[in-house]
Amino acid sequence: MQIIPLFIAVPLGAAFILAMLGKARHSLIDLLANIVTAFLLILAISVIGVKGTTTYSMGRWLPPIGIVLVLDGLSILMLVMVNLISFLATIFSISYIERFTAKAKFYAMFMLMIAGLNGVILTGDMFNMFVFLEIASIASYVLVAFGTEDEELEASFKYMVIGSVGGLFILLSIALLYGMTGTLNMAHLSQIIASKNFGIGLLFTSALLIAGFAIKAAIVPFHAWLPDAHPSAPAPISAMLSGVFIKILGIYTMMRILTNVIGIATLGRAWDIMLVLGAISMVAGGLLAIGQWDYKRLLAYSSISQVGYIMLAFGLGTPLGYLAALFHLANHSIFKALMFLNSGAVEYATETRDLQKMGGLSERMPVTGITSTVGTLSISGVPPFNGFWSKLLIIIAIVQAGRPVYAVIAILVSVLTLAYFLKVQRYAFFGKIKDTLMNIKEVPVPMCISLIVLAALCLIIGLDAFRIIQGTNASWFIRVMIEPAKEVLVNGTNYVKTILP
Amino acid sequence: MIILVYSIFLPVLGGLICLLIPNRVKILKEAIALIVSFVALVIGITIFKEKGAVFYRELGLLTQILGINLDLRVDYLNSFILMFITFFGFLITLYSLKFMSGKNRLNEYYAYLLINIGVANGAVLSNNLLTLLIFWDLVLICLYGMISIGGGKAASCSARKSFIIVGVADFLLLLGILLVWYMTRTFSIDVIKATLFTSVSFKISALAFICMACGALAKAGSMPFHTWIPDAATEAPVPVMAFLPASLDKLLGIYLLIRITSDLFIMPSWLGMILMFIGAFTIIAAVMMALIQHDLKKLLSYHAVSQVGYMVLGIGTGNPIGIAGGLFHMLNHAIYKSCLFLGGGAVEHQAGTTDLEKLGGLSRVMPITFVATLIAAFSISGVPPFNGFISKWMVYQGVIQSASSQVNQLTSFFCWIFLVAAMFGSALTLASFMKLIHSTFFGQPVNESPTTTASAGRESSTPIKEVNWTMWVPMAVLAALCVIFGVFAQIPLGKFIGPAIGLDFARIPRALSLSGLWSPTLATGLIVIGLIIGYLIYIIGKATKPRVDSIYIGGEVATEVHRFPGTQFYNTVKEIGGLSGIYKAAEKKFLDFYKWGMGFLKGVAYILFYCIDRFVDWLVLGVARLVLLFSWILRRGHIGALPTYLAWCLIGFGIILYVLVR
Amino acid sequence: MLIYVLCIILFAIGLYGIVVKKNLVKIIISFGILDYSVNLFFILLGYKRDGIAPIMMKGQDKAQFVAQAVDPLPQALVLTSIVIGLGITILMVAIAIRLYDKYGTFDVMKMRKLKG
Repeated sequence: MQIIPLFIAVPLGAAFILAMLGKARHSLIDLLANIVTAFLLILAISVIGVKGTTTYSMGRWLPPIGIVLVLDGLSILMLVMVNLISFLATIFSISYIERFTAKAKFYAMFMLMIAGLNGVILTGDMFNMFVFLEIASIASYVLVAFGTEDEELEASFKYMVIGSVGGLFILLSIALLYGMTGTLNMAHLSQIIASKNFGIGLLFTSALLIAGFAIKAAIVPFHAWLPDAHPSAPAPISAMLSGVFIKILGIYTMMRILTNVIGIATLGRAWDIMLVLGAISMVAGGLLAIGQWDYKRLLAYSSISQVGYIMLAFGLGTPLGYLAALFHLANHSIFKALMFLNSGAVEYATETRDLQKMGGLSERMPVTGITSTVGTLSISGVPPFNGFWSKLLIIIAIVQAGRPVYAVIAILVSVLTLAYFLKVQRYAFFGKIKDTLMNIKEVPVPMCISLIVLAALCLIIGLDAFRIIQGTNASWFIRVMIEPAKEVLVNGTNYVKTILP
Repeated sequence: MIILVYSIFLPVLGGLICLLIPNRVKILKEAIALIVSFVALVIGITIFKEKGAVFYRELGLLTQILGINLDLRVDYLNSFILMFITFFGFLITLYSLKFMSGKNRLNEYYAYLLINIGVANGAVLSNNLLTLLIFWDLVLICLYGMISIGGGKAASCSARKSFIIVGVADFLLLLGILLVWYMTRTFSIDVIKATLFTSVSFKISALAFICMACGALAKAGSMPFHTWIPDAATEAPVPVMAFLPASLDKLLGIYLLIRITSDLFIMPSWLGMILMFIGAFTIIAAVMMALIQHDLKKLLSYHAVSQVGYMVLGIGTGNPIGIAGGLFHMLNHAIYKSCLFLGGGAVEHQAGTTDLEKLGGLSRVMPITFVATLIAAFSISGVPPFNGFISKWMVYQGVIQSASSQVNQLTSFFCWIFLVAAMFGSALTLASFMKLIHSTFFGQPVNESPTTTASAGRESSTPIKEVNWTMWVPMAVLAALCVIFGVFAQIPLGKFIGPAIGLDFARIPRALSLSGLWSPTLATGLIVIGLIIGYLIYIIGKATKPRVDSIYIGGEVATEVHRFPGTQFYNTVKEIGGLSGIYKAAEKKFLDFYKWGMGFLKGVAYILFYCIDRFVDWLVLGVARLVLLFSWILRRGHIGALPTYLAWCLIGFGIILYVLVR
Repeated sequence: MLIYVLCIILFAIGLYGIVVKKNLVKIIISFGILDYSVNLFFILLGYKRDGIAPIMMKGQDKAQFVAQAVDPLPQALVLTSIVIGLGITILMVAIAIRLYDKYGTFDVMKMRKLKG
């Protein structure tokens, strides 16, 4: 598969070119950025359905010595999600980023972030993963501070310090792993970990890894940077950050390393910590969200809550739990990106994020209003939208795993979710329009396109998922996208066999 | 038996079609609603004849993992309940044609109405506890929609309140169902049948029973889950009240209660005592609340709560006659309370207000409404020979039997207290309906037209007249049923109630003579003869032909002072002036006692209102406040200081490390 | 062994500084210490007493070379890691300067517009 490195090389090259185009016309920059993301999306779609594991050895150095890029079910799902959301975000940016001065720099950083994300997804080498992770992180630090007003800078600084500490945790754990095993290739590492007993050292390393990734994924209590950073970024970046960034950098890496490299069995009973972390995130995020009046801050807290769901389902360690976690991850990418873009559209039209200053926006902004309603219904788990099915699967998985207490918590938090999103709908979109907002109008066409596509995806995936009542494989989306990804996780440490023959 | 599926999905489909038809095409929508509800009634009657029919289908993953399957069964209990659900659905649709015309959001209204019929059928037919719960919650969602149709902030407020209260109870029901599953590993009602309370897991089964009973009681609207009914009453359109809280929710709630007490569980007597206590308490507390109401709809809704008490009391006795009485009372209540609400709606529709102080003298202009309401009022007050009397009588007998069969002296004593409470409640019901009938239909009409105070859209000069036939036919049918079920009680008892609980009512007097003799037909005959004699005497007396004229007060215009609105019946002593002639000698003393007694009753009523009646309100509000409090506390934690956030990360790392390395 | 302990002490100093210090510059310096301690740790993994540079000369005995030469991989990795650390530090300094423009102070406790 010669196209695998293109996922990293193309955006990296585009970032370089865009950085040089600082003085060029905006239409040219828009065109280039959108062509690149569209190309990446097509590339990602073209690898859907690739069976088994495909590897690409960088510089023809075979594993375990050289760095390999690995394309398996899990990577494909993540690649499609990242490139889909980034494509829609760049389309949204065409109009949205006009408000900022340095459009070329914005896109350059954006491309760098995509390169980092794709790299994290594809790489089969621990240190390489760390490098890509830091590339993506640095790009996101810059993008959060892109407005260069006091709040953006403050958020970026806090995010940067906490995120870098998380990165150092990961680096330290990589160093420890290297010290113990003498290799950095994930497959080889897994082989060696399985063959020897490292005892407490490995557990310490795992704790460092979990903490590091939890910081990147904003799991409570490592979450405090997220509600500052995500709202401060420009809306397309918020959509990227909440939609895919925290999931790739936090959840995907955690899934990959804990199940495929270290192995759940190594952690034993302590694996339950994932359930607890997930449940705490879910509850705390929901409670914090309901008290917010800032539109984007509310969405940010809701991301924490929803990531808690994913962690909870992942922490069950059962096949259905993995399936539910991945399904919810994919769905959450879509509807949270939609909701952040919605908030961006509202901010674009009204120049405020305060819910109390809005009202009756549906009247003037029908597309934004309707798509926001779709997003609300999806995230609150109302049938027939996609969020309902993934939450249902999560709850089924929890019950099946014999942990009814968590199921009750999940249901209650779902009610809470509905409550705070109804608050958004009520204050921002329903009701009578305020006199100060009489002059607003619907956002430009490119922004509308992104919103409509995402809302349509919510509905289509939801309708498609109706067939899961005949068995999970009856649904096209689950069969083609989620099921192969789940197989990778279920396969666990057998991962090594697919890479090192 | 595919017809079982039709009974569920046909109304739902009709409802969805109604939802899609725009409001402008009114006729089409009404026609569809009427036709669908009529077809549902036909299906309901067909199903009633098809006892033992089964429809079963697996639902793929849902069946494998959650055990949800579409398992519909008809037996003696649910067949007649289903028939009556469709019957009420049809009557209410007919009534709504005229009543709701010109109101907003008609498409939603008919959609909810029809969907409600469908999902209620589904809830009753389900043999699987989880599907039952799903249909049950759909009924709740329809209830939410229907109450909020009234429009306005208050309507959405009370709709939300209903939703939360019943939703919490449904959550308890879910908990109960999960506990039952935990014990039996199945959701099928016919498998679970009577296997519980025998095993070692006594505490769990008791908890499951209580949780499920809470769900059923909340749906039926018993204390302490009742506060949504009076609140909804003032906001929701009258047909909604007649359909949901008055008939459908009672049918569903009591159906589930009977399923729980007689099918799922073998009820131990102490749980029966709890149910009986709830029942007796509901009767007294709610009827006292009703006494102090000034609004027709609110008064009726408190009675809708009070009457649930009889049903729960009857079922709580645990003996066949009591359960049969409770079930029969449920049926009767659905009939007469719907009739009362529809009558109230007719009054509202014509007079434009439901405030008792502003109504009066409608008996002359609205004779059919008056007669129907009067019959229903007699029924609810338990006046023989109407149906309410028969079922109350059976409940009393059940309580007596229960009292005499108790081994323990104390519990036996309690049973007697419950009996007294029930009878006393019945007396108070009669009293409050006297007030209602008097102030609505008798007395002088209000001088100024009542329409000026309410209903701005109506021409204030239009004289009040009888309602359209689509509105009085349902009332008349229901009133006729009140009489028929009262005079020929053996028909419903033998056809519906008896088979449902496996009691042989073929020879009704024998079954009823368990502790007393009551032959409804004979008694009715005697009463009718008495009435005829009375009427003859009246005719003879009338031969003198007294002159009837309007009040003469020296040429002055009769003012407000000369009106006697019934709302003041129980406020002060003045209203019993008519009695003063008779008790002239004992006037002072009697009046003191009366004053004292009524004051005491009112005081108790107010205390109950604030301590018990609004208790659940406070609870619901409390949960919301608690959530906001936690939110506030957590938000205070996010002080925006980087060192604090970093410290959290380190603490979190420490905890993870401890858990992993431990 | 002692050298590892020193490395851990360095790590702890960095962690202390980054959590406790309120001044932006001190936080950045603490981050630098933290970063270097991890880099140092990485280097120490490949360190051998009296080791030779990992460059194989012609005719050198393979087994002897492996026994003597230090592990080259950590050095390569640390180079990358230093570059990343450099990038982050530069960004931190740049944003700290901007923050000073906006807030007129380096005290992180006074930069609390985002909270709740």
